[in-house]
Amino acid sequence: MTNQANLERGYRRLLAWYPPAFRRDHGEELLAVLMAYAPDGQRRPGLAASADLIRSGLWMRLRPSVPRSAPTVRAAVRLMYAGAAVTTLSLIITIISLAFIGSGWGSLRLFGHSQPLPVVITVGIMGGLILIGLWLWMARANGQGRNWARILSTVLFGLATLHLSNNTGAVEWVFAVVTWLVGLAVVWLLWRPSSNAFFNPQGLTRAGQSEQQSPRSN
Amino acid sequence: MQEATFMILTALANGSQHGYGIITDVEEISGGRVRLRPGTLYTALDRLRADELIEVDREEIVDGRLRRYYRLTPAGTKRLSAEAARLQAHATAALTRLKLAGGTAT
Repeated sequence: MTNQANLERGYRRLLAWYPPAFRRDHGEELLAVLMAYAPDGQRRPGLAASADLIRSGLWMRLRPSVPRSAPTVRAAVRLMYAGAAVTTLSLIITIISLAFIGSGWGSLRLFGHSQPLPVVITVGIMGGLILIGLWLWMARANGQGRNWARILSTVLFGLATLHLSNNTGAVEWVFAVVTWLVGLAVVWLLWRPSSNAFFNPQGLTRAGQSEQQSPRSN
Repeated sequence: MQEATFMILTALANGSQHGYGIITDVEEISGGRVRLRPGTLYTALDRLRADELIEVDREEIVDGRLRRYYRLTPAGTKRLSAEAARLQAHATAALTRLKLAGGTAT
């Protein structure tokens, strides 16, 4: 295999760090730049070039991809990350307090039955992790302009509202209210008129125009 | 505005350029001081496109490889002029004060 083909294979492997959508749209283009950038006779990607691609690829996967032209969605995505952070904090505090308070009892009530403490803690951690995962998933999907994510976020917020009265302890209440308020702000921001264009760039503008025109033409 | 962003917009100020063209141009503008890495460049281009400061001008296939040319949008031109004016004002202020202090402004 020639040096050129070897180098290209190495770069292609590194491009796997990028999100698939970016690879589809810009993979070949970036590969051409990488090949032009590499010094003659180079056989494999250098350390610095590899680090640059891995860092850039990971950053593209993780960062919110909302343009400045959609400030309400940007704010909503940031708030969802904040929601994940608050939930993480709440999970940590709950686990610590359970470990302290519960250690004297050895068991706690869960699902209407007395359960051994390790079971309660395990269930708590699992539930907390699922909630954190939901926040992050919704932040990502909404940031990518997926309209189903906007609808699902709203449904999840509705479920959280129904669940709000289930919290018992004072600390639990504070966290539940804070996360609920974050959720409320997120849902409000996601359904602002200025967010619509981001979730449905062509469809809604057209629908909006025809709605404005149709009463006059009828 | 980050320096890399400013340099990329400057490279596109008087016409469209493809990725590698931007890298060599930025190197030239900065007197060899700034050599953008391809990964860094494409992260910046992606962001600038999302912010509608640049757009794709055209595509070409050269030696079997894809070249995509980018150009400034009107918003990009406006943003670059504003940033250049701001930097110029700062530089002028610095040079004026250095002169007043009796230093040599070169």
